[in-house]
Amino acid sequence: MSVYAVNKLCRDALHDRGFREALKTDPAAAMAPLDLAEDERRALLQGDVAGLFEHGCHPFLLAYLTRWDLFGLTAPVYSERIRKARDPRDETAA
Amino acid sequence: MAEIVAAFGVPHAPAFPALVAREGPNCEVARLYAEVAKHVAAVAPDVLVVFDSDHFNTFFFDNLPTFLVGVTEATEGPNDQTPMPHYRVRGHAPLAGHLRGSGLARGFDLSLSQDFDVDHSIMVPLHFLTPQMNIPIVPIFINGLAPPLPGARRCYALGEMVRAAIKDWPERMRVAVLASGSFSLEIGGPKIPHGERAGTPDEAWARRVQQLMQQGKVNDLLEEATAVRMARAGNIGGELLNWIAMLGTIGERRPRFIEPQVDHGHSYGAWRWD
Repeated sequence: MSVYAVNKLCRDALHDRGFREALKTDPAAAMAPLDLAEDERRALLQGDVAGLFEHGCHPFLLAYLTRWDLFGLTAPVYSERIRKARDPRDETAA
Repeated sequence: MAEIVAAFGVPHAPAFPALVAREGPNCEVARLYAEVAKHVAAVAPDVLVVFDSDHFNTFFFDNLPTFLVGVTEATEGPNDQTPMPHYRVRGHAPLAGHLRGSGLARGFDLSLSQDFDVDHSIMVPLHFLTPQMNIPIVPIFINGLAPPLPGARRCYALGEMVRAAIKDWPERMRVAVLASGSFSLEIGGPKIPHGERAGTPDEAWARRVQQLMQQGKVNDLLEEATAVRMARAGNIGGELLNWIAMLGTIGERRPRFIEPQVDHGHSYGAWRWD
Protein backbone atom coordinates (compact mmCIF):
# COMPACT_ATOMS: atom_id res chain seq x y z
CA MET A 1 0.00 0.00 0.00
CA SER A 2 1.41 3.34 -0.92
CA VAL A 3 -0.59 6.18 0.58
CA TYR A 4 1.93 8.52 -0.98
CA ALA A 5 0.87 7.66 -4.53
CA VAL A 6 -2.80 8.38 -3.78
CA ASN A 7 -1.98 11.70 -2.11
CA LYS A 8 0.20 12.55 -5.10
CA LEU A 9 -2.55 11.67 -7.55
CA CYS A 10 -4.92 14.07 -5.76
CA ARG A 11 -2.33 16.83 -5.75
CA ASP A 12 -1.54 16.28 -9.43
CA ALA A 13 -5.25 16.47 -10.25
CA LEU A 14 -5.11 20.05 -8.94
CA HIS A 15 -1.79 21.11 -10.41
CA ASP A 16 -1.70 19.23 -13.74
CA ARG A 17 -4.60 20.07 -16.01
CA GLY A 18 -3.66 17.40 -18.56
CA PHE A 19 -3.65 14.68 -15.93
CA ARG A 20 -6.97 15.94 -14.57
CA GLU A 21 -8.55 15.74 -18.03
CA ALA A 22 -7.14 12.23 -18.48
CA LEU A 23 -8.67 11.20 -15.15
CA LYS A 24 -12.04 12.49 -16.33
CA THR A 25 -11.87 10.76 -19.70
CA ASP A 26 -10.47 7.36 -18.74
CA PRO A 27 -9.50 7.08 -15.08
CA ALA A 28 -8.18 3.51 -15.30
CA ALA A 29 -5.89 4.42 -18.20
CA ALA A 30 -4.73 7.65 -16.53
CA MET A 31 -3.78 5.69 -13.42
CA ALA A 32 -2.16 2.78 -15.29
CA PRO A 33 1.40 4.16 -15.13
CA LEU A 34 1.14 5.14 -11.44
CA ASP A 35 2.73 3.21 -8.60
CA LEU A 36 -0.58 2.39 -6.90
CA ALA A 37 -1.42 -0.81 -5.05
CA GLU A 38 -4.25 -2.79 -6.62
CA ASP A 39 -6.62 -2.11 -3.73
CA GLU A 40 -5.87 1.62 -3.99
CA ARG A 41 -6.58 1.58 -7.71
CA ARG A 42 -9.85 -0.21 -7.06
CA ALA A 43 -10.81 2.15 -4.21
CA LEU A 44 -10.15 5.17 -6.42
CA LEU A 45 -12.18 3.77 -9.33
CA GLN A 46 -15.05 3.10 -6.92
CA GLY A 47 -14.73 6.54 -5.35
CA ASP A 48 -14.27 4.85 -1.98
CA VAL A 49 -12.95 7.92 -0.16
CA ALA A 50 -13.87 6.51 3.26
CA GLY A 51 -11.65 3.50 2.60
CA LEU A 52 -8.83 5.72 1.32
CA PHE A 53 -9.11 7.95 4.39
CA GLU A 54 -8.99 4.94 6.70
CA HIS A 55 -6.00 3.74 4.68
CA GLY A 56 -4.19 6.97 5.65
CA CYS A 57 -4.72 9.29 2.68
CA HIS A 58 -5.02 12.96 3.61
CA PRO A 59 -8.63 14.21 3.43
CA PHE A 60 -7.61 17.72 2.36
CA LEU A 61 -6.09 16.15 -0.75
CA LEU A 62 -8.91 13.63 -1.29
CA ALA A 63 -11.34 16.57 -1.34
CA TYR A 64 -9.72 17.82 -4.55
CA LEU A 65 -11.40 14.89 -6.30
CA THR A 66 -14.81 16.49 -5.75
CA ARG A 67 -13.84 19.74 -7.45
CA TRP A 68 -14.12 18.04 -10.82
CA ASP A 69 -16.40 15.18 -9.79
CA LEU A 70 -13.56 12.73 -10.46
CA PHE A 71 -14.36 9.03 -9.91
CA GLY A 72 -18.06 10.00 -9.64
CA LEU A 73 -17.38 11.99 -6.51
CA THR A 74 -19.87 14.84 -6.68
CA ALA A 75 -19.89 16.94 -3.50
CA PRO A 76 -22.96 15.20 -2.01
CA VAL A 77 -21.59 11.72 -2.82
CA TYR A 78 -18.17 12.60 -1.40
CA SER A 79 -19.69 14.09 1.74
CA GLU A 80 -21.97 11.14 2.49
CA ARG A 81 -19.16 8.63 1.96
CA ILE A 82 -16.44 10.37 3.96
CA ARG A 83 -18.81 11.05 6.86
CA LYS A 84 -19.15 7.29 7.31
CA ALA A 85 -15.39 6.77 7.62
CA ARG A 86 -13.96 5.54 10.87
CA ASP A 87 -12.38 8.61 12.46
CA PRO A 88 -9.42 7.89 14.77
CA ARG A 89 -9.90 11.34 16.36
CA ASP A 90 -13.13 10.12 17.95
CA GLU A 91 -11.40 7.11 19.43
CA THR A 92 -8.49 8.79 21.20
CA ALA A 93 -8.91 9.59 24.87
CA ALA A 94 -8.85 13.35 25.45
CA MET B 1 18.29 47.18 16.83
CA ALA B 2 15.14 45.89 15.27
CA GLU B 3 11.88 45.71 17.18
CA ILE B 4 8.51 44.04 16.87
CA VAL B 5 5.92 46.81 16.66
CA ALA B 6 2.70 44.87 16.10
CA ALA B 7 1.21 41.48 15.39
CA PHE B 8 -1.80 40.35 13.40
CA GLY B 9 -3.80 37.21 12.81
CA VAL B 10 -6.23 36.45 9.99
CA PRO B 11 -7.80 33.49 8.19
CA HIS B 12 -7.08 32.81 4.53
CA ALA B 13 -10.02 31.01 2.91
CA PRO B 14 -9.29 30.78 -0.84
CA ALA B 15 -12.86 31.88 -1.65
CA PHE B 16 -12.45 35.26 0.08
CA PRO B 17 -10.91 37.38 -2.71
CA ALA B 18 -13.66 36.40 -5.16
CA LEU B 19 -16.34 36.77 -2.48
CA VAL B 20 -15.25 40.31 -1.63
CA ALA B 21 -14.94 41.21 -5.32
CA ARG B 22 -18.54 40.07 -5.70
CA GLU B 23 -20.11 41.43 -2.51
CA GLY B 24 -18.13 44.64 -2.08
CA PRO B 25 -16.45 46.45 0.80
CA ASN B 26 -19.40 46.23 3.20
CA CYS B 27 -19.55 42.46 3.47
CA GLU B 28 -18.36 40.86 6.70
CA VAL B 29 -15.10 39.46 5.30
CA ALA B 30 -14.13 42.76 3.67
CA ARG B 31 -14.95 44.70 6.84
CA LEU B 32 -12.91 42.39 9.10
CA TYR B 33 -9.85 42.38 6.86
CA ALA B 34 -10.14 46.16 6.49
CA GLU B 35 -10.09 46.54 10.25
CA VAL B 36 -6.82 44.61 10.49
CA ALA B 37 -5.41 46.38 7.41
CA LYS B 38 -6.03 49.71 9.14
CA HIS B 39 -3.72 48.64 11.97
CA VAL B 40 -1.09 47.35 9.53
CA ALA B 41 -1.09 50.72 7.77
CA ALA B 42 -0.95 52.61 11.08
CA VAL B 43 2.22 50.87 12.28
CA ALA B 44 3.79 50.86 8.78
CA PRO B 45 6.21 47.99 9.37
CA ASP B 46 9.42 47.62 7.36
CA VAL B 47 9.10 43.83 7.29
CA LEU B 48 6.36 41.30 7.89
CA VAL B 49 7.31 37.96 9.46
CA VAL B 50 4.57 35.52 8.41
CA PHE B 51 3.80 32.29 10.27
CA ASP B 52 2.00 30.07 7.82
CA SER B 53 1.06 26.47 7.06
CA ASP B 54 1.47 25.47 3.44
CA HIS B 55 -1.34 23.26 2.06
CA PHE B 56 0.79 20.65 0.23
CA ASN B 57 1.45 23.12 -2.58
CA THR B 58 4.89 24.54 -1.82
CA PHE B 59 5.95 21.39 0.01
CA PHE B 60 4.67 17.84 -0.27
CA PHE B 61 5.15 14.45 1.35
CA ASP B 62 8.38 13.90 -0.61
CA ASN B 63 9.95 16.64 1.53
CA LEU B 64 7.77 18.04 4.29
CA PRO B 65 9.36 20.44 6.78
CA THR B 66 8.05 20.81 10.31
CA PHE B 67 9.61 24.30 10.53
CA LEU B 68 11.13 26.08 7.54
CA VAL B 69 12.35 29.63 6.95
CA GLY B 70 12.04 31.06 3.45
CA VAL B 71 15.25 32.93 2.72
CA THR B 72 14.63 34.62 -0.60
CA GLU B 73 14.71 38.00 -2.35
CA ALA B 74 11.21 37.43 -3.74
CA THR B 75 8.40 34.94 -3.95
CA GLU B 76 5.13 34.75 -5.83
CA GLY B 77 1.73 33.10 -5.82
CA PRO B 78 -0.79 31.77 -5.33
CA ASN B 79 0.52 28.52 -6.77
CA ASP B 80 -2.67 26.52 -6.18
CA GLN B 81 -5.31 27.72 -8.68
CA THR B 82 -6.95 30.06 -6.15
CA PRO B 83 -9.21 32.48 -8.06
CA MET B 84 -7.45 35.77 -7.22
CA PRO B 85 -4.75 38.03 -8.69
CA HIS B 86 -1.25 36.61 -9.01
CA TYR B 87 1.28 38.59 -6.97
CA ARG B 88 5.01 38.86 -6.57
CA VAL B 89 6.27 40.06 -3.18
CA ARG B 90 9.77 40.77 -1.98
CA GLY B 91 11.38 38.70 0.74
CA HIS B 92 13.92 39.97 3.25
CA ALA B 93 16.69 37.43 2.79
CA PRO B 94 19.19 38.92 5.26
CA LEU B 95 16.71 39.02 8.14
CA ALA B 96 15.34 35.59 7.19
CA GLY B 97 18.87 34.14 7.20
CA HIS B 98 19.49 35.76 10.57
CA LEU B 99 16.31 34.27 12.04
CA ARG B 100 17.24 30.84 10.75
CA GLY B 101 20.78 31.09 12.07
CA SER B 102 19.54 32.32 15.44
CA GLY B 103 17.14 29.39 15.57
CA LEU B 104 19.89 26.88 14.89
CA ALA B 105 22.03 28.50 17.58
CA ARG B 106 19.14 28.28 20.06
CA GLY B 107 18.08 24.68 19.48
CA PHE B 108 15.57 25.05 16.61
CA ASP B 109 16.65 22.91 13.64
CA LEU B 110 15.01 25.07 11.00
CA SER B 111 14.89 23.91 7.38
CA LEU B 112 15.71 26.23 4.52
CA SER B 113 14.29 27.12 1.13
CA GLN B 114 15.75 29.80 -1.11
CA ASP B 115 13.48 29.19 -4.09
CA PHE B 116 9.77 28.66 -3.58
CA ASP B 117 6.39 30.08 -4.41
CA VAL B 118 3.49 30.28 -1.97
CA ASP B 119 -0.16 29.26 -1.91
CA HIS B 120 -3.37 31.06 -0.93
CA SER B 121 -2.51 30.83 2.78
CA ILE B 122 0.01 33.66 2.34
CA MET B 123 -1.39 35.45 -0.70
CA VAL B 124 -5.00 35.81 0.54
CA PRO B 125 -3.89 37.67 3.71
CA LEU B 126 -1.47 39.87 1.74
CA HIS B 127 -4.14 40.56 -0.91
CA PHE B 128 -6.27 42.15 1.82
CA LEU B 129 -3.64 43.58 4.18
CA THR B 130 -0.87 44.85 1.90
CA PRO B 131 -2.38 44.78 -1.61
CA GLN B 132 0.44 46.94 -2.99
CA MET B 133 2.86 44.15 -1.97
CA ASN B 134 5.21 46.86 -0.74
CA ILE B 135 6.26 45.24 2.54
CA PRO B 136 8.85 42.47 2.26
CA ILE B 137 8.01 39.24 4.03
CA VAL B 138 9.93 36.58 5.92
CA PRO B 139 7.80 33.44 5.72
CA ILE B 140 8.21 30.84 8.47
CA PHE B 141 6.34 27.67 7.61
CA ILE B 142 4.92 25.44 10.34
CA ASN B 143 3.43 22.05 9.55
CA GLY B 144 -0.16 22.55 10.67
CA LEU B 145 -1.83 20.04 8.34
CA ALA B 146 -0.02 16.71 8.30
CA PRO B 147 0.00 15.01 11.73
CA PRO B 148 1.95 14.54 13.84
CA LEU B 149 2.23 18.32 14.22
CA PRO B 150 4.70 20.20 16.38
CA GLY B 151 3.36 20.96 19.85
CA ALA B 152 1.80 24.25 20.91
CA ARG B 153 4.56 24.99 23.45
CA ARG B 154 7.24 24.30 20.87
CA CYS B 155 5.59 26.71 18.43
CA TYR B 156 5.27 29.34 21.16
CA ALA B 157 8.98 28.89 21.95
CA LEU B 158 9.72 29.31 18.24
CA GLY B 159 7.98 32.67 18.43
CA GLU B 160 9.97 33.62 21.52
CA MET B 161 13.15 32.73 19.66
CA VAL B 162 12.08 34.96 16.75
CA ARG B 163 11.46 37.82 19.17
CA ALA B 164 14.95 37.45 20.70
CA ALA B 165 16.59 37.15 17.28
CA ILE B 166 14.86 40.30 16.01
CA LYS B 167 16.10 42.17 19.06
CA ASP B 168 19.64 41.10 18.14
CA TRP B 169 19.39 42.37 14.56
CA PRO B 170 21.87 45.27 14.34
CA GLU B 171 19.91 47.62 12.09
CA ARG B 172 16.94 49.75 13.05
CA MET B 173 13.91 48.01 11.67
CA ARG B 174 10.20 47.90 12.50
CA VAL B 175 8.96 44.33 12.25
CA ALA B 176 5.35 43.17 12.37
CA VAL B 177 4.29 39.54 12.71
CA LEU B 178 1.38 37.97 10.86
CA ALA B 179 -0.28 34.64 11.66
CA SER B 180 -2.37 32.96 8.99
CA GLY B 181 -5.00 30.33 9.73
CA SER B 182 -8.16 29.01 11.35
CA PHE B 183 -8.95 27.60 14.78
CA SER B 184 -11.60 25.09 13.71
CA LEU B 185 -11.88 23.84 10.15
CA GLU B 186 -12.41 20.47 8.51
CA ILE B 187 -11.83 20.06 4.79
CA GLY B 188 -12.78 16.80 3.12
CA GLY B 189 -12.71 14.75 6.33
CA PRO B 190 -15.42 12.82 8.24
CA LYS B 191 -16.41 15.90 10.27
CA ILE B 192 -17.74 17.87 7.29
CA PRO B 193 -21.48 18.63 7.18
CA HIS B 194 -23.94 16.83 4.90
CA GLY B 195 -23.47 17.77 1.27
CA GLU B 196 -20.48 20.05 1.88
CA ARG B 197 -16.73 19.87 1.23
CA ALA B 198 -15.78 21.75 4.39
CA GLY B 199 -17.15 22.85 7.73
CA THR B 200 -16.44 24.11 11.22
CA PRO B 201 -16.71 21.11 13.55
CA ASP B 202 -15.88 22.91 16.78
CA GLU B 203 -17.14 26.47 16.96
CA ALA B 204 -16.94 26.31 20.77
CA TRP B 205 -13.17 25.72 20.58
CA ALA B 206 -12.79 28.66 18.18
CA ARG B 207 -14.66 30.88 20.64
CA ARG B 208 -12.54 29.59 23.52
CA VAL B 209 -9.30 30.28 21.63
CA GLN B 210 -10.40 33.82 20.84
CA GLN B 211 -11.49 34.39 24.46
CA LEU B 212 -8.10 33.28 25.80
CA MET B 213 -6.32 35.53 23.30
CA GLN B 214 -8.58 38.42 24.21
CA GLN B 215 -7.68 37.99 27.89
CA GLY B 216 -3.98 37.48 27.20
CA LYS B 217 -4.16 34.05 28.86
CA VAL B 218 -1.39 32.52 26.83
CA ASN B 219 -0.52 29.81 29.32
CA ASP B 220 -4.09 28.53 29.43
CA LEU B 221 -4.12 28.44 25.64
CA LEU B 222 -0.88 26.45 25.55
CA GLU B 223 -2.27 24.08 28.16
CA GLU B 224 -5.54 23.50 26.31
CA ALA B 225 -4.21 23.36 22.74
CA THR B 226 -3.22 19.70 22.85
CA ALA B 227 -2.75 17.65 19.69
CA VAL B 228 -6.02 15.81 20.42
CA ARG B 229 -7.95 19.04 21.01
CA MET B 230 -6.69 20.67 17.84
CA ALA B 231 -7.33 17.54 15.76
CA ARG B 232 -10.93 17.38 17.00
CA ALA B 233 -11.38 20.98 15.91
CA GLY B 234 -10.80 19.77 12.36
CA ASN B 235 -8.08 18.47 10.10
CA ILE B 236 -7.02 22.09 9.47
CA GLY B 237 -7.29 23.03 13.17
CA GLY B 238 -3.50 22.86 13.47
CA GLU B 239 -3.30 26.24 11.78
CA LEU B 240 -3.81 27.62 15.28
CA LEU B 241 -0.09 26.88 15.73
CA ASN B 242 0.68 29.86 13.49
CA TRP B 243 -1.23 32.13 15.88
CA ILE B 244 0.51 30.52 18.85
CA ALA B 245 3.94 31.15 17.30
CA MET B 246 2.86 34.75 16.65
CA LEU B 247 1.87 35.09 20.33
CA GLY B 248 5.34 33.82 21.24
CA THR B 249 6.81 36.90 19.55
CA ILE B 250 4.71 39.32 21.66
CA GLY B 251 3.96 37.50 24.95
CA GLU B 252 0.83 38.06 27.01
CA ARG B 253 -0.28 41.30 25.42
CA ARG B 254 -3.97 41.77 24.79
CA PRO B 255 -5.18 42.50 21.28
CA ARG B 256 -6.38 45.99 20.41
CA PHE B 257 -8.87 44.37 18.07
CA ILE B 258 -10.12 40.82 17.75
CA GLU B 259 -13.37 39.69 16.25
CA PRO B 260 -14.66 36.31 15.13
CA GLN B 261 -16.36 35.59 11.87
CA VAL B 262 -19.37 33.84 13.31
CA ASP B 263 -19.76 30.16 12.41
CA HIS B 264 -16.49 30.13 10.47
CA GLY B 265 -14.14 28.91 13.20
CA HIS B 266 -11.70 31.79 12.85
CA SER B 267 -10.98 35.32 14.03
CA TYR B 268 -9.31 38.51 12.88
CA GLY B 269 -6.94 40.20 15.33
CA ALA B 270 -4.47 43.03 15.74
CA TRP B 271 -2.02 43.55 18.60
CA ARG B 272 -0.51 47.04 19.02
CA TRP B 273 1.02 48.85 21.93
CA ASP B 274 1.98 52.22 20.42
